[in-house]
Amino acid sequence: MKKHNVWLSVDFLLKAAILFAFIFPFLWMISTSLQTFQETLSVPPTLIPSSPQWINFVEAMTSGPFATYAKNSIIITLSIIIIQFLVMIPAAYAFAKYEFFGKNVLFALVLIAFMMPGQVTFIPIYLMMADWGLIKTLIPQILPFMSNAFGIFLLRQYFMQIPEEIIEAARLDNASEFKIMWKIMTPMAKPALATIALFSFVSHWNDYFWPLVMTDSNEVRPLTLGIAMLKQSEGISNWHIIMAGNVVLVIPILIVYLLCSKQIVKAFVYSGIK
Amino acid sequence: MASIEFVNVTKEFEKKDIIKDLNLTIKDGTFTVLVGPSGCGKTTLLRMIAGIGPQSSGAVLINGDDVTAVAPGKRGVAMVFQNYAIYPTMSVRENIEFGLKNNKVKKEERNQLVESISAAVGLTDYLDRKPSTLSGGQRQRVALARAMVKEPSVFLMDEPLSNLDAKLRAQMRLDLIELHKKLGTTFVYVTHDQVEAMSMADTIVLMNNGLIQQEAAPEEIYHEPNNLFVAQFIGTPPMNIGELGVDGVKFGFRPESAQTSDTPVDEYLSMEGEIATREMLGSETLYQMKYKDSAFMLKSNYAFYKVNQKIHIGVPEDKIYLFDSEGTRIRKDHERYSSYLEVLRGY
Ligand SMILES: Nc1ncnc2c1ncn2[C@@H]1O[C@H](COP(=O)(O)OP(=O)(O)OP(=O)(O)O)[C@@H](O)[C@H]1O
Ligand SMILES: [Mg+2]
Repeated sequence: MKKHNVWLSVDFLLKAAILFAFIFPFLWMISTSLQTFQETLSVPPTLIPSSPQWINFVEAMTSGPFATYAKNSIIITLSIIIIQFLVMIPAAYAFAKYEFFGKNVLFALVLIAFMMPGQVTFIPIYLMMADWGLIKTLIPQILPFMSNAFGIFLLRQYFMQIPEEIIEAARLDNASEFKIMWKIMTPMAKPALATIALFSFVSHWNDYFWPLVMTDSNEVRPLTLGIAMLKQSEGISNWHIIMAGNVVLVIPILIVYLLCSKQIVKAFVYSGIK
Repeated sequence: MASIEFVNVTKEFEKKDIIKDLNLTIKDGTFTVLVGPSGCGKTTLLRMIAGIGPQSSGAVLINGDDVTAVAPGKRGVAMVFQNYAIYPTMSVRENIEFGLKNNKVKKEERNQLVESISAAVGLTDYLDRKPSTLSGGQRQRVALARAMVKEPSVFLMDEPLSNLDAKLRAQMRLDLIELHKKLGTTFVYVTHDQVEAMSMADTIVLMNNGLIQQEAAPEEIYHEPNNLFVAQFIGTPPMNIGELGVDGVKFGFRPESAQTSDTPVDEYLSMEGEIATREMLGSETLYQMKYKDSAFMLKSNYAFYKVNQKIHIGVPEDKIYLFDSEGTRIRKDHERYSSYLEVLRGY
C-alpha cells in the first residue's frame, strides 16, 4: 500500500514537472507583459508584477502600424485556409473515391510535396514572385500555400472510411458529384477539417520565416514581423511591450483551438454509422 | 411501373466473371425475390439495375429501353441498401427529402410528401433526429422512407430486414407485402432467408455462383425443383437426398413427405431405421433417422418417438424426386424415369 503511494506521488511529480516545463515560458510571457520596464530588468527576475501594467498592451498596439499588421495576418491566414479547403476537398475526394489514370503517381507527388521543407523552395518562389512584381502585395504569402499536402493526405484517409454505399445512395437520389462532395462528404469530415484548419491556422499565423523573406515593406507585413520589430524601435529591448504584443498574437490561436478541440478529438476516433 | 430485362449480361470483378451470360426478365409490377447463398451475386445484380455497378457486357433494359447510358438518379429506381447507407450528418427529414430536393420538387409538395411517408412508416416523431440516435429498426424505416418518397417505378431492396429481430422482421414482411399491393410497382428484393423469399415473392429467382438455378413461383420452386441445388436450398430442413446406386442417380424426398410408424408402412418407398436425434419444434417434431450409411430428416406431428428407437417410414411415389449425376432433375417424361424409380422398390 505504501509503495503504491510512493509511485503515485512520483507519477504526479513527473507529470507536474513536464506540465510546468511546457507552461512556464507561457506564464513568463504573460507575467512580463504586465511588468514595468524596471521590473523586466531587475535581478532576481520579477515573477509577479507588483501592479499589472495593462498600458503595455495599449503601447504595443499603438506603436507602428499595428492595425495594418493585424489586418494582414488575418487576411493571409483566412485566405490560406479558405483556398486550401477549396483545393483540398475535391482533391481528397478524387483520391479517395475515384479511379483514374495516373492516380498513384499523382498521389505520390502530393506526398513528396508534403515532405518538402519551405527552406528548399523559398528562393525560386521569391524570384518568381519578384519577377511578376508581386512582392508589394500579400500574394507571395498566400499563393504558395494554396494546396496543403498534409491536409489532402489526412482528408483522403478520412474519406476512404466513408462507405461507398452512402455515395451511391446519393447518386440514386440524383445528386450531382459536386453536391455529394459538399453536402455529404464534407459534413461527414468535419472533425478532420477542424484538425487541418487548426494546424494550418497555427502554422501560418505564427509564421515568421516566410513573410520575412517575402516582404520588403510594412504595408504587407504580418503581426509576427511587426512584433519582432517592436524590439528595434528603441535602443534597448522593451521586453514588456514585446511580450504584450506576443500575448495579443497568441490569443486568436487559443480561441481557434477552443473552437476546434471537440471536433479534433473526434477526428482520431471516427467510426461510421453501420 | 417498369419491367426489367437482362440480356446476355456479364459482370467481371478483377478479371473474374462473377455473373456470366445472364438472361432474366422481371415483369412489370411483380414482387421478385432474388435468393441464393452468400456471394452468389445478388447485390451485384441489383447494382446493375440501379446503375451504380454497371455490367461489363450485355444490356440492362428498363421498360424495353437500354439504360446503360442513363445515370443512376434518372432511372426511376430507388434502392434500400444492405447497410441502409443513411446520410449520417442529416436529420431524418433531410434524409427523406434529399432526393426530392435534387429533383427540384417544390417546398410545399416536399413537406407534404415527407409528412405522409413518415406517417406511413411510423417516423413522424423522429423527423428531427439524427440517424445516430435511432435504433436499427428505425434506421431501416428511414432507408425505406427515403426510397418510397421518390415514387420510383422500380424498388430495389437488398436484405432490408436482415438486421431486425424476428418479431419486427415478421411485421415488416407483412408491411412490405402490403406496400407492394398498394403501390403496384416492381419490387426486386434480395434475401438469403428462404422464409422471406417464400412468403413475399410472386417469383423467386434462385441463384448460385452467378448463375440462375431456377426462376419460378414459390410453390413451383418448392414442389418442382429444377435441380439438386434448388431442392436442397429451399425448405427447412432441406430435401433428403440418397444415392440410388445406379448411374450416379440420386433420389430425394422432403422431410414432411415421409409417413412414420412403429409398424411397416405400405408406401412406394419404405425403410426401417433408427432415430438418432429428436428436436421439438412446437406443433411438429424433427427427427433424424439413421438408415444404413445415410441419415434422413423427418418432420412429424407425432412427438413421442425416442432416440435409438426403431421406426418405419414410407414415402408415396409422387413425393419422390430423382436427379441425374449432374444434379439435374429427372422428370416423369425421362425415358428411364420408371426404371430408376423401380430401384427404390426394394431399397
Ligand atoms: N467491388 C468488388 N470487387 C471485387 N469483387 C467483388 C466486388 N463486389 C462483389 N465482388 C464479388 O462478387 C461476388 C458476388 O458478390 P455480391 O455482393 O453480389 O454477393 P451477394 O449475393 O450479395 O452476397 P451476400 O448475400 O453475402 O450479400 C462475391 O464473390 C464478391 O466477392
Ligand atoms: Mg449482398
